[in-house]
Amino acid sequence: MRNRLIPVVILVLVLMPLWLSTSVLAGKTRALGLPPVPIPSDNPQNAAKIALGMKLFMDKRFSADSTVSCATCHDPKRAFTDGLPIAEGIKKKKGTRNSPTVINAAYYTSQFWDGRAPSLEEQAKGPFVNPVEHGLKDFSPILQVIKRDPKYSSLFKKAFGIDADRIGIEHVVKAIASFERTIVSGDSPFDRYMYGGEKGAMSEAAIRGLKLYRTKARCQDCHPIGQTSAIFTDNKFHNLGVGFSVIEPRLMEIVAKVKKAKEKGLKLDETILQKQDISELGRFVVTLNIEDIGRFKTPTLRNVAVTGPYMHDGSVETLEDVIELYNQGGEDNPMLDSGIRPLELTEQEKADLVEFLKALTSPEYAGLLKDKK
Amino acid sequence: MKKMVAAMTLAVALSILGAFAVQADEFTKKDLEKWNKEFISVVKEGERLFHSALGKNKVSCDMCHPNGANTHPETYPKFQKQIGKVVALRDMINWCIQNPLEGDPLKLDDPKMIALEAYITYERKGKPLDPGKH
Amino acid sequence: MKKITRRRLLKRGAVAAAAATLPLSLVEISWGKGNAQNFTFAYISDSHLTHIKGTKFVRNFDKGLKKAVMECNFMSPKPDFVVYGGDLAQLGKKEELEHGLEIMSKLRHPVRWVIGEHDFYLDMGRFWEDKISKTTYSFDHKRVHFVVLNSILTYDSWIKRWKTPEERMANMARLDNPNGSPFMVGDRQIKWLKKDLARVSKDTPIVVMSHSPLYKIFKPWNFWTDDAEKVQAVLKPFNKVTVLHGHVHQILYNQIGNITFQAMMSTAWPWPYPLSYIKKPNQIPKITVFMNRADPFHERDATGWSILNLENGRVTNHYKLWENRDRILRYDEKLGYPVDTLYQNPANRIPPQEHY
Repeated sequence: MRNRLIPVVILVLVLMPLWLSTSVLAGKTRALGLPPVPIPSDNPQNAAKIALGMKLFMDKRFSADSTVSCATCHDPKRAFTDGLPIAEGIKKKKGTRNSPTVINAAYYTSQFWDGRAPSLEEQAKGPFVNPVEHGLKDFSPILQVIKRDPKYSSLFKKAFGIDADRIGIEHVVKAIASFERTIVSGDSPFDRYMYGGEKGAMSEAAIRGLKLYRTKARCQDCHPIGQTSAIFTDNKFHNLGVGFSVIEPRLMEIVAKVKKAKEKGLKLDETILQKQDISELGRFVVTLNIEDIGRFKTPTLRNVAVTGPYMHDGSVETLEDVIELYNQGGEDNPMLDSGIRPLELTEQEKADLVEFLKALTSPEYAGLLKDKK
Repeated sequence: MKKMVAAMTLAVALSILGAFAVQADEFTKKDLEKWNKEFISVVKEGERLFHSALGKNKVSCDMCHPNGANTHPETYPKFQKQIGKVVALRDMINWCIQNPLEGDPLKLDDPKMIALEAYITYERKGKPLDPGKH
Repeated sequence: MKKITRRRLLKRGAVAAAAATLPLSLVEISWGKGNAQNFTFAYISDSHLTHIKGTKFVRNFDKGLKKAVMECNFMSPKPDFVVYGGDLAQLGKKEELEHGLEIMSKLRHPVRWVIGEHDFYLDMGRFWEDKISKTTYSFDHKRVHFVVLNSILTYDSWIKRWKTPEERMANMARLDNPNGSPFMVGDRQIKWLKKDLARVSKDTPIVVMSHSPLYKIFKPWNFWTDDAEKVQAVLKPFNKVTVLHGHVHQILYNQIGNITFQAMMSTAWPWPYPLSYIKKPNQIPKITVFMNRADPFHERDATGWSILNLENGRVTNHYKLWENRDRILRYDEKLGYPVDTLYQNPANRIPPQEHY
């Protein structure tokens, strides 16, 4: 009997560290208030892949003039954003859109403000070859750097079990995505109050703000808080009218232009960041559905207080300005989402909502909150 | 003989006493009628409120819910998508007052709230409970 | 705190331009081979504009009608005409009707009007007949015969019951009124209809536009026309008859003999299906595939208008459903009744259509 037990014991002892390491990784993704992070079956997490992903994320050599890495616009020290209204790539070239934070991006079912990338993996490809971001002509410079760097070879080997000559862009983006799947945070004062049972975790003002959030302020429907967790996004696309005035006088013309261009094989990624009038069409450029004109993805509100400025064009500076935008009923236009309407909030109610939004800041970024005064 | 007499006396005494003792769970048909009338009076008040403008615009509940239709009182408590948590019927009543009716919420123990609930559930009488159904 | 700068007023015309201009999300216009009778028209209905005080109206309902008018203006191809299906006002007030006329005046296409009970019962249709339209008439368009009926009349005894016009209007306005009275077309109009149709050939397609359904669905909510059978009998001899109606604020369609019935959406708010009131039995047509159950957060959910194609004498109905996927109803010649092009097959149904 005992002889049979020994191999079992050995097996457990061998597997235990593996299980522990993955559960530690999993533990990191199960912070209070968050649901489990969705992991695609073709890109399972492992410690080597995550470390590799982080290294790739920070590497400035993957740009035309070696000045830009993912971390340039998604700076870990600034809650994975750049604090700018519009992102700036190589040579300070401006695009058309605000850099979203990587924090909790793993919960989105599509990436980019218009959802044109179906996954973190696919999203990672775009900026490398976008003329106003990293500015590379294709992926070969990336692969060359990797193949010449012995540190990379050994990390790729550990992460994917492949040799240097077999490394492709797919592996690169898979590693980056794996790293991004660990950039998740809950545990904010809101989470401790709501899911941790700590009645004192939020201020009185924030508690009032939470009540308003679900009722008069009408935030709940698009930025949902759940019974057991909250990701604060419905993963849908809505029109608030922000930036609509850019396209309104020439709407027919621009729409026709996009339709023609798409038929001819338009390169979405490049055009969206270079032509503002096309960028403002939002989701329409992806679906060609008239109802989607001016619609943008609902971002998560976690850490919103430290990831400004706001909206897809970074045009709204502060949280107070955001509340004011919603209070007036968005920017009226015929495609305005029909859940948006004037709110008639009092000054106290507006302030309470801002306090609540601040309470969505996770502890590791709380330091940035103090800088925002 | 003495024991039997004593026992019989006791029995008679007890039965006489018993006839006058109040039985706590005894109620008559008349009581039921009376209490039902009280209930219906509140249902009627609820009907009146349900068909009146409870908010700042002129919208009333019956405009979207004639006869309380499509309110599904038998499904509460449930996770209410619009509120983001599991709530009772009265919480959704307040949500509707605040949103489509653009009004101020009622206090949860307001007699108006009870009246509304009485009317809404009364119109749905007979439907089996189905708590949690969306 | 920096205030949001107000954007300049949007040039609504240009903005809405693309809303209905590009055929991308419109019904495919299937022109019959060499058949010049096919054409497009539009239907906007049940706006229920509600006066609050002074110049203030219920914002939600105003928005619905304005949106329909704007989108309709930029239809391509242009509609030959637009039908207004009734219930422009909520309580028949002059303010409401005038407000509605003002909004409708922005439409760039000719309008044909159908009266609803909310327009009629305050002044017994006086304002409507003076300022808007006749309530009973017919016209021919591209070899199709159109008839408009006042199908929201009711028994004289009920009309005479009320002490004031406001009381009468309020009692007709309340849908679930136990003191209500069923709609009817009335013998006088039926006589007129017989006479009107006497000069129409049996193979001329006929479209009847009416506020009440002209068949019987649910009496407690007046989804009902009391003398429906009499009206249907007059229409029976004709090969292709379609009835378009409002009042129900939901997708409903039916086939009774030779007549196809199609309900139009409201621009203001949806009504639940009658099966939702379990205390009374209903006669909802079995072929109807329900619209998606509305989310009350989105004010335009389960509201909309219709783009209608007259094809081969039948009406194809493209429901422009806001906040929802559009629905298309097309007459199936083989089956002999209208079907939903996406969801008619029960295997294709989705939860929002069944979760009532």
